[in-house]
Amino acid sequence: MLTRRRFLLALVGQTILGWAKNLFAQTGVFLTEQEAPEAVFPEATAFERQVIKATPELREKMQALMGKFKPSIWEDAYTTFLAKKGGEFLGYAVIVEEIGKHRPITFVVGIQPDHKVHDVAIMVFREPYGGQVKERIFLKQYRGKSVTESFLPFQSVRSVAGATLSIHALARGIKKAAALVQAVYQEGKEGGW
Amino acid sequence: MRQLVPMILVLWLLGPLPTRGATLEELEDQVKALNEKIEQMKREQEESKKAEAEPAEEERRPFFQEALERVKVGGYGSIRFESNTLDEVGNTFTFRRFVLTTDAAPADRLKTYFELEFERFQVLEVERTTAPAEGGLKVQQAVEATPGSEIAIEQAWVQYDINDWLKFRGGAVLVPLGRFNIRHDDNLWALPRRSLVDRGVPVLPIPAAWPELGMGFTGDLAGGKLGRLNYELYVMNGATLDAEVEEIIQTREGKRDKLEAEVELRPGRGTAQLDTKDGKAVGTRVAWTPLLGQELGASLYWGRYTPGFLDDEKLLSFGLDGLFSLGPFELEWEYVNTNFSNVGDVATSIARVAREQAVEIEKVDSPDLEVEIEYELAQLAKTKHGYWLELRRRFWPAFLKNTFLGKPFENPQFVAVARWEQAFLDDRVTHVDFTGGTITAFETEDRWVNRITAGLAYKPTPLWAFQLAYEYTWTNRGRSLAEVTNFLPAKPNEDKAHAFLFGVAFGF
Repeated sequence: MLTRRRFLLALVGQTILGWAKNLFAQTGVFLTEQEAPEAVFPEATAFERQVIKATPELREKMQALMGKFKPSIWEDAYTTFLAKKGGEFLGYAVIVEEIGKHRPITFVVGIQPDHKVHDVAIMVFREPYGGQVKERIFLKQYRGKSVTESFLPFQSVRSVAGATLSIHALARGIKKAAALVQAVYQEGKEGGW
Repeated sequence: MRQLVPMILVLWLLGPLPTRGATLEELEDQVKALNEKIEQMKREQEESKKAEAEPAEEERRPFFQEALERVKVGGYGSIRFESNTLDEVGNTFTFRRFVLTTDAAPADRLKTYFELEFERFQVLEVERTTAPAEGGLKVQQAVEATPGSEIAIEQAWVQYDINDWLKFRGGAVLVPLGRFNIRHDDNLWALPRRSLVDRGVPVLPIPAAWPELGMGFTGDLAGGKLGRLNYELYVMNGATLDAEVEEIIQTREGKRDKLEAEVELRPGRGTAQLDTKDGKAVGTRVAWTPLLGQELGASLYWGRYTPGFLDDEKLLSFGLDGLFSLGPFELEWEYVNTNFSNVGDVATSIARVAREQAVEIEKVDSPDLEVEIEYELAQLAKTKHGYWLELRRRFWPAFLKNTFLGKPFENPQFVAVARWEQAFLDDRVTHVDFTGGTITAFETEDRWVNRITAGLAYKPTPLWAFQLAYEYTWTNRGRSLAEVTNFLPAKPNEDKAHAFLFGVAFGF
């Protein structure tokens, strides 16, 4: 017979077990490199991984495209993924790093061929403050925005108290990813930015 | 050497053979060339060995980079110029504070954070000499310090991240009462003076930034469409009445010179050593973010505020706060209510222990010097409550884009800001007199302080702010602002003050 005490014990037990499953699931690493492209292109069925060496010439081209945005980190190489669904090309997933206040934030930016942001996902967050930017409620505001936008708080994205520097880092990172796509994959193509 | 012999043979065999009829000079040249080749091979072999023993600079760098990434040093600070209508203030520069911060992450789940504050600080120098003199031992001590200087640990805690929603934190933690105390960095704000509720009056039991030694948990719960919930919950030693001894040496015309020790019993930060009072304090804040840019917070602090040698009396504070943003507009606010239970009983307790409120050596015993010891209860009221409301609008005129204000910054901003604030002190203790362990006088009054501030800040980056502001502060008619604020040294009849402020706040 299910007494009230047994019912409550079962309920508490289930809750604790449910929590325990996630107890060690979250650290500062939220996505591995393998999971990253799928996080920004969940509809894709295949990804082609490429590693692009960041030569001084490439950096120069990227910086020219980024304008006033100055990266806080120049990576040695960029890992990109070409996302496809059947025969259809969906876009580019680019892994970039930018410093928030003191530590680098690693994230993946999905960019569509029409120069719009498909999605953004945080892979590794290391700062003691500003972690709100990793949540979907915040990141979904980047979807569909043209890469020509500023992505800066109070201009094209909403700000979050305590995360201003992290939002600035995301803006620089998105600009950097878009510049890489333009410089490597779309140079000379029509409709560049 | 063993490797060189076969190399020489190989070179000898592969090298051009001396042709029949070669002269002695030609043979010598060939031997010389062979020797050079052998020397070059020797050098290459040595370099290769050396390279194997010592990793290349590129290989060593990741270790150092990793070490540097684990520990980060930063800081923030602020200075201010003030022109005030109060005679005792006039025009002055104030070094508000410089705070050094360090955060380290020795492993993925582990974090430490540290803030060391230098407030109104420039010099602290202690000189002491101990030497025999005049047939005895002479110990001489001199302390040199700038007035109002303070060195304090603002935060020093360790954190173990069990999960996003469960992080253990222990050490000197900021008491989560209201939103200002936990976000008190000067460079985050557009105005160059802290609020009355958190600092100037204050309604907070201890002026911000207020840390206490304790342990507890913090975390974030993402609730999908319901938004995000952040909480902090700590058990701490807690604020307690503490003695502050003020020594006064005064020469007076027509009167006896004065040597006075004034013992002020006022709420102070809890101890960082043995906390002998029975009972600890609890502090918690829950903040709900239903939508981006919106936050609603509720906080509570409860604990004993009397030291172990007095009767147990409790302090209860609660706060409500919020942030509402719409486009370039932000409305931020905070309300705090603090209740000290049975302040009268506390005075009775003190009387019982201290016996005499004031002790003075009579003129007949000391005709030239008046010596006095006096006890006072300071900054206590039955209830203190107040709020501040700050409206901000961010903007950036396009024509400034290519000027020195706009270049080379990513997102320079102007922030127009207005703040309205009120603080109420109900049954504020003004005078306590006791003799022979019994209270003979206990007087209280109700007071209020209002302030309105308007300002403009220029923020070239989020970490820097140049702040310009005008403020008007006033209190009950005919009563001194100095009695109810801790930053305005007003004369007895000065009940209002106008001030122009210019401040620079920075972070790195």
